[in-house]
Amino acid sequence: MALKPLISFLSFAGMFLQGTLAIVLLARKSWRQHPLFTSYGVFSFAMSVMLYFLQRRAIYPRSYFYGYWIQEAIAMVLGFCVVYEVFRHLFSTHKALLKLASLIFRWTVVVLFCLALAVVFVQSPGASSLSKTVLVLEEATRVVEVGLLMFLFGASAAFGLHWKQAEFGIALGLGLFVAVQLTTVTLLSQLGMSAWAVLNVVRILAFDVSLLVWLGYLLAPERVATTGEVPKRAQLEQWNQAVTELISR
Amino acid sequence: MITVIVIALALCAVVLFYMAVRGRRKQAGHGVRPVDLTAFRTLMDRDDELFLRRKLPRSKFSHLKRQRIRVTLRYVTRIASNASAVMRMGAAERLNPAPEVAGAAAQVTELATQIRLQCLVAMSKLALEYALPSLQLTPGMLAPKYQSLRDSVSRLGDLTHKPAPLAAAI
Repeated sequence: MALKPLISFLSFAGMFLQGTLAIVLLARKSWRQHPLFTSYGVFSFAMSVMLYFLQRRAIYPRSYFYGYWIQEAIAMVLGFCVVYEVFRHLFSTHKALLKLASLIFRWTVVVLFCLALAVVFVQSPGASSLSKTVLVLEEATRVVEVGLLMFLFGASAAFGLHWKQAEFGIALGLGLFVAVQLTTVTLLSQLGMSAWAVLNVVRILAFDVSLLVWLGYLLAPERVATTGEVPKRAQLEQWNQAVTELISR
Repeated sequence: MITVIVIALALCAVVLFYMAVRGRRKQAGHGVRPVDLTAFRTLMDRDDELFLRRKLPRSKFSHLKRQRIRVTLRYVTRIASNASAVMRMGAAERLNPAPEVAGAAAQVTELATQIRLQCLVAMSKLALEYALPSLQLTPGMLAPKYQSLRDSVSRLGDLTHKPAPLAAAI
């Protein structure tokens, strides 16, 4: 198993980054602005440490398995809460858009829920064991999560909304991780456990990259919006001339 | 089949995230860009179109109309981008401790938001007209609204006692 040392290294790196993220979140009192993301970050770190010890000193053989999937389930629920938190922050200063965006958000949830149900119905006949059933459920949940994050990015682009640095980082990091997780879970349910090792490396790597994205965006200073790039009069005239030429062509 | 859809969804998501990062960098690099409202009004004038429709053969008219739509779309994109810049500026000014400034900033943000939505509608209508040049859809109230946005931004600049280069630039 040549991948085992790599998996161990990536897992340790992830745990270190999770710890750093938890410290950054707590030191910056991020719970005031982003209580759900702070909970998500601290919870992920605490569970990683707990799972590490469960794996090393398992009292019951299946304790790691159940611990892992319970942690995944709670993390997924928290992930949805984080998406909603970012959505509220993004639209909170635009009351005129909030109503329309909430309506589209609800319809997006309905459509994604239907897609998730389709995933469950199509994949569940092949899910003979508990592990496979859990994978199918995870795939369905990730479909909804990815879809909602796509909605967030799509809506902000369409409405021309300005993301704050931290919120953009939170959504981007979560989006990257969730998209890779969806791909690996889907491939795993198709290829079977033979692909587990490789896909596990990809999954852990994606999580580590997401942690770096979160840390990067949280620690980087916020860009100040300036109006310093106002065009000069001569530029305005140039533009007018260009348009006049364009029209008269 | 469902597997393909799910994988495609994940790939689309990654592409969208990449585009968002690029868009954010671009947004940081660009300021506001001016819009010549007189030229824009001329482009949106439907009487011209009726005249051209009567005078020109169908194929020539379609070609001309598509050209005109392409130019109009540039204007609408620019208006949308400027409205977005005003929304950003307005959101920052809403935190101003002076209530009259905060109130004016809220108004400006609302107006810019409405213009941004109207731009989306205008883009859809223009896209439809591009596909079917014989269609003539109502262009909406984009030009007068944009003028009113300029005035509001200028008023906000007066209230904050800062020179308002944004109002002059948009």
